[in-house]
Amino acid sequence: MSQREDILKRMADGVVVGDEAAVTKAAQEWAELVKAGKEQAYIGIVDGLAAGMKIVGEKYECKEYFLPEVLLSADAMYAGLNVLLPLLPKTERGAAGKIVIGVVEGDIHDIGKNIVKAMLTAAGYEVYDMGRDVPTKDFVSKAKETEAHVVALSTMMSPTLLSMKAVEEELRKEGLKDKTKTIIGGGTVTDEFRGRIGADAYGKDAVEAVDKVKQLIDTVMKAVEAMRKAEEKK
Amino acid sequence: MIAMSSENKYEVIFFPHGRRDFFPPGTTLMHAAEKLGVDISTVCGGKGTCGKCKVRIDEGYESLGPIKPAETKHLTKDMIDQHYRLACLVKIKDRPVKVYVPEISRVGKQRLQTEGLEVPVTPKPMVRKYFLKLPVPTLHDMRADEERVLDALADQYGLDKNKLRIDYDVIVKDYLPIKLREANWEVTAVVWNDKVMAIEPGNTTDRCFGFACDIGSTKLAGFLMDLNQGKVVAIGSRMNPQIPMGEDVLSRISYVLFGGEEAQDKLQRAVVGGINEIIDECCEKAGVKHNEIYEMTFVGNVAMQMFFLKFWPKHVAYSPYPPVVRRGIYVPTAKLGLKGHPYSQAYYLPVFGGFVGADQLAVIMATRMLERDEITMDLDIGTNTEIAVGNRELVTCDSCASGPAFEGMEIKYGMRASTGAIEKVTIDPSSLELNYRTIEDAPAVGICGSALIDIPAELLKAGIIDNKGKFVEKMAKQTERLRKSKEGMWEYVIAWAKESGSGIDIVVTQGDLRELQKAKAAMHTGAELMLRYRGLTEKDISKFWLAGAFGNYIDPENARTIGMYPELPTEKYVFVGNAAGTGARMALISTDMREYAEEISRRVVYYELAVDKDFQNEYARSQFIPYQDLNRYPLTRELLYRLGRIDENNKWIYPE
Repeated sequence: MSQREDILKRMADGVVVGDEAAVTKAAQEWAELVKAGKEQAYIGIVDGLAAGMKIVGEKYECKEYFLPEVLLSADAMYAGLNVLLPLLPKTERGAAGKIVIGVVEGDIHDIGKNIVKAMLTAAGYEVYDMGRDVPTKDFVSKAKETEAHVVALSTMMSPTLLSMKAVEEELRKEGLKDKTKTIIGGGTVTDEFRGRIGADAYGKDAVEAVDKVKQLIDTVMKAVEAMRKAEEKK
Repeated sequence: MIAMSSENKYEVIFFPHGRRDFFPPGTTLMHAAEKLGVDISTVCGGKGTCGKCKVRIDEGYESLGPIKPAETKHLTKDMIDQHYRLACLVKIKDRPVKVYVPEISRVGKQRLQTEGLEVPVTPKPMVRKYFLKLPVPTLHDMRADEERVLDALADQYGLDKNKLRIDYDVIVKDYLPIKLREANWEVTAVVWNDKVMAIEPGNTTDRCFGFACDIGSTKLAGFLMDLNQGKVVAIGSRMNPQIPMGEDVLSRISYVLFGGEEAQDKLQRAVVGGINEIIDECCEKAGVKHNEIYEMTFVGNVAMQMFFLKFWPKHVAYSPYPPVVRRGIYVPTAKLGLKGHPYSQAYYLPVFGGFVGADQLAVIMATRMLERDEITMDLDIGTNTEIAVGNRELVTCDSCASGPAFEGMEIKYGMRASTGAIEKVTIDPSSLELNYRTIEDAPAVGICGSALIDIPAELLKAGIIDNKGKFVEKMAKQTERLRKSKEGMWEYVIAWAKESGSGIDIVVTQGDLRELQKAKAAMHTGAELMLRYRGLTEKDISKFWLAGAFGNYIDPENARTIGMYPELPTEKYVFVGNAAGTGARMALISTDMREYAEEISRRVVYYELAVDKDFQNEYARSQFIPYQDLNRYPLTRELLYRLGRIDENNKWIYPE
């Protein structure tokens, strides 16, 4: 195994077992390579930290892991991110995609949202965390202000699904849906509900959420690019 | 041979019942069963989410279309091969169908806890009856009929005439003047809180009844009471008919929010329908007429209050969760559609903030927590678990969404406590021999709440799971009950196919254990954070009241071993059963108790767990069995150490 593969593996394994110290150490070694101009911070985040977190998500999904293990892994991943994120060139972060994330109005359960946020951050996106119990209009104004590619909404409770519907409707009314796609998730959310309110994607867990966000961002970026070209032709 | 069709309808036959009829295409098997009075178990009410309505199609299988994704979630490959389907999702098309309802899907006799702590209360009902011999009007005594009655109440019984009045309906709708004369001026006045609510001919003073009811999200318990003596004369219970519109209170609130006024009406009518059935049953048992029920009292959580009284329920489900009405509230029973005396009143006991409602208040009332010097704590276990702690200086309460796992929901072979449910499980920690008991000793068809507490505790002690709640795979060498399923998930067999009533192995899966861990962690978090908020520890607790529907059936030591609540020595436990029902009865027979209820609702402070900064961490720590830090569980720690499960540093010892 080459040195770079070894470091990436140690980062991923450290995240999987929730070993903060091991992840920090591996991340620091990667950081040295980045500073020496041999590697990119982004690769370390995606192929090391995020790869580990993806395994954690899968283990949780098949019931092998339980919540404390996921949280430990998230902590370990954050330790690694603290080392690598500052090394990411500013342009690179926003270029991958911008995401506004939060728990919708009326709900204050944010464990799930925090895990998704961690994984999206790890995947190299610029993430604007709105927190919990976020008023509908705040999601809309933040999406406008940041020109976010994706608005990610979470709720654990079922009555607050109504707030999710409200954000979707409001974004539509403001004419933002061409450039901003929505993904929803959380304890009571289903794909059937996504269809009903017309959201663009549903993530049944954090792993799936990240994959779906990636697809959404590709779609948006292509659409924006096409629009730009159409403009140029004129 | 089953008949082909009759006017474009197709025959459906249910076995072993043998009931049959013709139904149009598009009818679900569940619907056909309902029409024919064939009971098929359902918790979700036909949404295809609970998986309890498994049936086997013996003829006409091919006509029913391909199996749906929602079905594959609940049916094993074996079952699919044997043509099992979910009755609520399958619609008949163009062929007759023969359906076998296996034991597992039949609705057995339901066991529900209705008894509760008996607290001696001196009867002081709001309703009193007075037999009156009225002087006949003459030219020298021309007092009005109304005044004649009130004067007699004052003269013969010392009531304050100036405060009294006769209900308008009694005068008009009941033809007071005719009634008095037909009864030869010998009548019984029924007085409710300074109001004459009825005039009855002759002396009926010995017949004075009231109805107290606990509206639980899962079950309703009703008590018909003799108000003169303060005694229960009949008891009845039902499942809450709102369940099909949502398994827990939040999904019912969503049902209203997305369905509007119509949905709200439907929920209200459903619960009132259930209550009326209990009233009918109690009246029949005790030989009491509906119009002899002069008052009713109700307890329930805030959501139940809102559905029952038709308050708009959105905001109680949205942070910061304010209720619409906190204080006790009187509503005419007729307005709610209840079957009592037409002019009787319903009193709904006060509630607290958040979701903590009159049921928790009733627990505090019945246990007199607020009157004690010593600090006591209560845990009212349910889909929504409520916790209160304190003494005469201050009682605080909170609630946690523990979910319905311990009621058998979200658990592969989970079921309610009815015939054939495994209710008790023991595993010998050294020989690993398993024993279980079922309700009514019927062949096992599923697992109910009390056993769902035993199982993780027994598995832990036997070393088959570790303190993370994970199956220790190496133990499969020592017990054939532990195995990997065809779907690749680890599971443990509680009852083998040959002894079960369904002909299949009844197992607990790794996924089931995770659900139980989440549920118990929520309860533990509620208790732990409540104590911490008050600057207390479990050592400060002198009595621990265990309330709730299945409270009396659970093994409190096993509940503690899995860490449902902080570790307390068993001698501190007091079972209070359905304390909510007790509270409703106390309030019914005594106005003093109603005032006391109002006082409790004013004095007890509600604490919202979600604002606790340590919520997430505590919830995570509580997912361990019993808890992350074993030093907080010295008794369990000692036990696990003695059994050789952990070393002196509390580290789990895995087999070689």
